[in-house]
Amino acid sequence: MAELVLDINIRGWVFLPIVLITFLVGVIRHYVSLLITSQKKVELTQVQDSQVLIRSRMLRENGRYISKQGFYMRRHYFNNEENGYFKTQKRAAPAQTAMPDPSMMTEMLKGNVTNVLPMVVIGGWINWMFSGFVTTKVPFPLTLRFKPMLQRGIELVSLDAAWVSSASWYFLNVFGLRSIYALVLGENNAADQSRLMQDQMSGAAMSMPMDPKVAFKAEWEALEISSHKWALADLDNEVLNVLLNKSIK
Amino acid sequence: MVHLSEAQEKLKKYREDNERKSKEVLELWDSSVKHKIKQLGNDRYLVLEQVLIAACDCNRIDVAKVCLQMLLNKFPDSLRVRRLAITILEAEEKYDEALESLDKLIKADETNAQTRRHKVAILKAKCQISEAIKELVEYLKKFMVDQEGWQELSNLYLLEGEYAKSAYCMEEMILHNSQNHLYHQRNADIRYTQGGAENLELARAHYSYAILLNPNNIRALYGLYLTARSLISSQKNNQTKKNTFKKIATLSLKRVEHMYSEKKQLNKKNQLYVLETLMGSLHLSLN
Repeated sequence: MAELVLDINIRGWVFLPIVLITFLVGVIRHYVSLLITSQKKVELTQVQDSQVLIRSRMLRENGRYISKQGFYMRRHYFNNEENGYFKTQKRAAPAQTAMPDPSMMTEMLKGNVTNVLPMVVIGGWINWMFSGFVTTKVPFPLTLRFKPMLQRGIELVSLDAAWVSSASWYFLNVFGLRSIYALVLGENNAADQSRLMQDQMSGAAMSMPMDPKVAFKAEWEALEISSHKWALADLDNEVLNVLLNKSIK
Repeated sequence: MVHLSEAQEKLKKYREDNERKSKEVLELWDSSVKHKIKQLGNDRYLVLEQVLIAACDCNRIDVAKVCLQMLLNKFPDSLRVRRLAITILEAEEKYDEALESLDKLIKADETNAQTRRHKVAILKAKCQISEAIKELVEYLKKFMVDQEGWQELSNLYLLEGEYAKSAYCMEEMILHNSQNHLYHQRNADIRYTQGGAENLELARAHYSYAILLNPNNIRALYGLYLTARSLISSQKNNQTKKNTFKKIATLSLKRVEHMYSEKKQLNKKNQLYVLETLMGSLHLSLN
């Protein structure tokens, strides 16, 4: 196949501008998000609730390693009918209306403004502005499977897979500029989109307003049916074995 | 004169590894960072914080105050900086002032665990153990999964001689991490000290488990020996049980002896080796 030669203008007007645009957008995003993020205020009861749940779960899991008395003391503390923790703590369930918390809404909006919006707008704009260019070539041969990844926007069957289209070049930049951002803006900057994407994946489950009442009820039930089965009851023989083995050596 | 970037690199490493190394940090500060703090960029506030704490450790209040002033100029109403100011007060042993401002901080941000822990630490420094315990218990009611808090509470109770409560805290540690032999050994230590047939049984079980987790835990081995000895002499146990205890006692004692003799030999070898090399160098210099 004949070697492809790219126009110099493609370098000057497509290749470099895309790098520059993605980089600058990242920098701007960093500063904008610094401007508009507000410190999240956590309620003390919220912290306490989550920690109680963790502790109770650990009691169920590892309770067999502590003394029987210790186990039932703790269970009593959580579960007893009169003043057990899970029985007495009355938490107001979060309002189940369509708009639970106005501050949450603004948080979501801010997140969208800084994350999703630029991604869509800039991505769309680059796709429209620079569509259909072959911009560069990776310096190693690739198999055909890489074609949809590296040649988005160009549907040429005969083109070698090592060539990169403009749209794909944009995406490579979005994900590849992380260390440059870290260099320029310092660690933990907000410019990195790939990190934000990961946040979005896990964030959806976390930001759900948890209803402590339901969680307490479930935990209470789980704890109520768990009983103490001491794991350290008959260790004499095992210890003897270990000691014997060691002393023979 | 250490180069600035080198110093910065070192300080960063200490921060990331959570190493205190106060002396080294102060040396770096004195030798290079002090005059060039402006050149550190965004890192400089972290460095200032680090140097401030190090300075408090080494009783260099002047340095600490310089750092604090710089931090205050940049962040006039940051809680973190205010807590650093309290650290300085603490280093100057102005405990009452420190406590007063800490109370204000706690009110300002109720969810901040650090300030509450700080208060306990100051109370402990003032030797008001029972106050510290009270405060720590309040704290642990809110932050129940703070392992270090439980551990500290266990130690404080030990200072007060409240073995049962201390053991309770130790059990909490075991709940957090059931496979740590040191927790089991510690719990057994406390139970053994507490005494009584039931507690001795518990101590034996926990010592045994500690040994299963780590057969080289010499403290657990010796503890098992002691507990087995005491259990043999107690009236409750029948003959077969007593026989097992005897076996356990002899074997664990043997193991302890064996480990110490190994250590001794190793030490002897090392000493011999050192001596030989010394002699060798002497020999060389004589020639």
